[in-house]
Amino acid sequence: MTDYLDVDARPILRAGGEPFSVIMAAVGRLQQGQGLRLYAPFKPVPLFAVMADKGFAHSASELEGGEWEVLFTPVGVERETTPIAASNSPFAPWPEPVVELDNRDLDPPEPMVRILAAAEKLGPGETLSSLLRREPVFLFPQLEKRGFRWLGGFRPDGATYELTVRAPS
Amino acid sequence: MPLQARVRGGVWSRNSRWDDETIMIGGSISRWTMTYFAAALTWLLAALALMVAGIGHPAADLAAPDTLVLVHVVCIGWLSIAMCGALFQFVPVLVAQPLFCERWALPALALVTAGLVSLLAGFMALGARLPSAPWLLPLGAVLLVVGFGLIVVDLGLTAWQRPSGPARFVLVGLASLCATAAFGAVFAFALAGWAGRIGDAVLARGIPLHAIAGLGGWLTLTAMGVSYRLLSMFMLAPDVEDRKSRITLAAGALAVATTVGGGAAAVGFELGLNMVLSIAAVFGLVCAALYGRDLAGIFRARKRRQLELNMRMAMLSFASLAATGLLGIALVATRTLSAHLGAFAFLAAFGWLSGLVLAKLYKIVAFLTWLETYGPVMGRAPTPRVQDLVAESRATKWFAIYYVSVWMGTLALLAAQPGAFRMAAAAMTVGVVGIIHEIIRIRRLEDVALPLRLPAGAVAPHLLFAKT
Repeated sequence: MTDYLDVDARPILRAGGEPFSVIMAAVGRLQQGQGLRLYAPFKPVPLFAVMADKGFAHSASELEGGEWEVLFTPVGVERETTPIAASNSPFAPWPEPVVELDNRDLDPPEPMVRILAAAEKLGPGETLSSLLRREPVFLFPQLEKRGFRWLGGFRPDGATYELTVRAPS
Repeated sequence: MPLQARVRGGVWSRNSRWDDETIMIGGSISRWTMTYFAAALTWLLAALALMVAGIGHPAADLAAPDTLVLVHVVCIGWLSIAMCGALFQFVPVLVAQPLFCERWALPALALVTAGLVSLLAGFMALGARLPSAPWLLPLGAVLLVVGFGLIVVDLGLTAWQRPSGPARFVLVGLASLCATAAFGAVFAFALAGWAGRIGDAVLARGIPLHAIAGLGGWLTLTAMGVSYRLLSMFMLAPDVEDRKSRITLAAGALAVATTVGGGAAAVGFELGLNMVLSIAAVFGLVCAALYGRDLAGIFRARKRRQLELNMRMAMLSFASLAATGLLGIALVATRTLSAHLGAFAFLAAFGWLSGLVLAKLYKIVAFLTWLETYGPVMGRAPTPRVQDLVAESRATKWFAIYYVSVWMGTLALLAAQPGAFRMAAAAMTVGVVGIIHEIIRIRRLEDVALPLRLPAGAVAPHLLFAKT
């Protein structure tokens, strides 16, 4: 039986904080063979790759209200021991947006058109942000084909979707 | 404050660079949706040709083999294939997850088509239009069960990942499709004489259960679920509260469950079906009324005042659904339902379901074609708007002809005037051919002004499938 150390990222995120360092500190405290049980308000997919590099397999299960419990279990051999540099971390801060769009009251698919047009004008590594009414599911493949990264999520009221797009650097 | 902390909810959940799991998020274009639509429209034309030629009800008895041919061309060939094509595109978008297996879509269409052809040939053999071949019906049933089975597993496993509002309707619709197919398969084996005494008993009394599970559970509940999201999306209205749509679905699901479960028990214990069907009808009417309330809410809360053609035409199909409900009440009250079952089913199939599917096809094809053609160059070159792909004023008249002739056809059936019904069917054909012509023009970008039609980097779409 693997023994797990619990980390709850939910209150940290609720308070507007950044849980990555807390998670990594907890990983550093783990004893040989010990795993990590993480609670998060959403499925922390990029963390899976980070933890895989550190030799942990993951198994994620959804809880009530869209929250997630993820078990990171050591797979025995550590594949990589180099610590992840802050600049390469998926959680390294992005620069403040150079363009802010409010596309909440536009007819679909006008928000997508405007975001792609504005994204094409970004310099390397620059970001833009946009407010939307819906998750722009048809926009994502277009952004990805062009090499853009993006972060998005609904605000706590559930009515406004906030999207940030970063140009390839 | 770091950006990631400000953007909550999806911070870690989406970015393709980090993990394979996030690469596909259900916003890409389904490759075979257009193929499904084309196959479905071909079957619709076949159904109209049968009605114009006077094959099937009302020229023949409701249970006659010719009527069975017509009914299955409409319900499987046209409505079910169109619905499956739309769901292959829609369900992944609904749950923001990729389709469980994109590769199944085309073989499933081939199996369903082959199964339908075999089934129709079996019915024609029953009616002595073809030499007797009792194995045709069971073969058709097996092919249909396998084809729809692939579709149900594919869509069901996809929708199951995030079963919220509309996805729940789809799941109940798929469960009803399974019940419909199960009854149909028993009938097919019983007609071939291969189902024993129990199969014969089910065949003798189970046909209303098969029809209600198919038209009511599978097609109607799925169409309702899909319409919730499409309407709020295209009219800029907030989604219907989960609690409200859940009650609407519960009423519909109870109607289907009562019909299928109670009906099967009644057949098994050799009891009458009337009580079961009456209870199911009450649930069905409650479901339709709650759906009307939900739709009214979407229309009231919409930010977009000016309605596009597809929405105005969808309203005519909602009116037809309401008329179907009222007609049902009137026929039951006057004890004439069994005499006018054909008119009732015709209004449900063509006024409500076909009308809604045609109206939404018009929009969905334009949107997917626009996305496929101009998505890759958007922001890099001037591109047309979605509305530039359609010519609504021209299309309006085809839809108007279609709906008016459907209502005329219903009246002709109620008045037992087969001649008038055939004329109405001919007029419906004119409307449908006009609508199909508009859809082909959309796919070929023929209404887009030439300077904008194909900017550098854009590729003209194929008529029958998506290239991306």
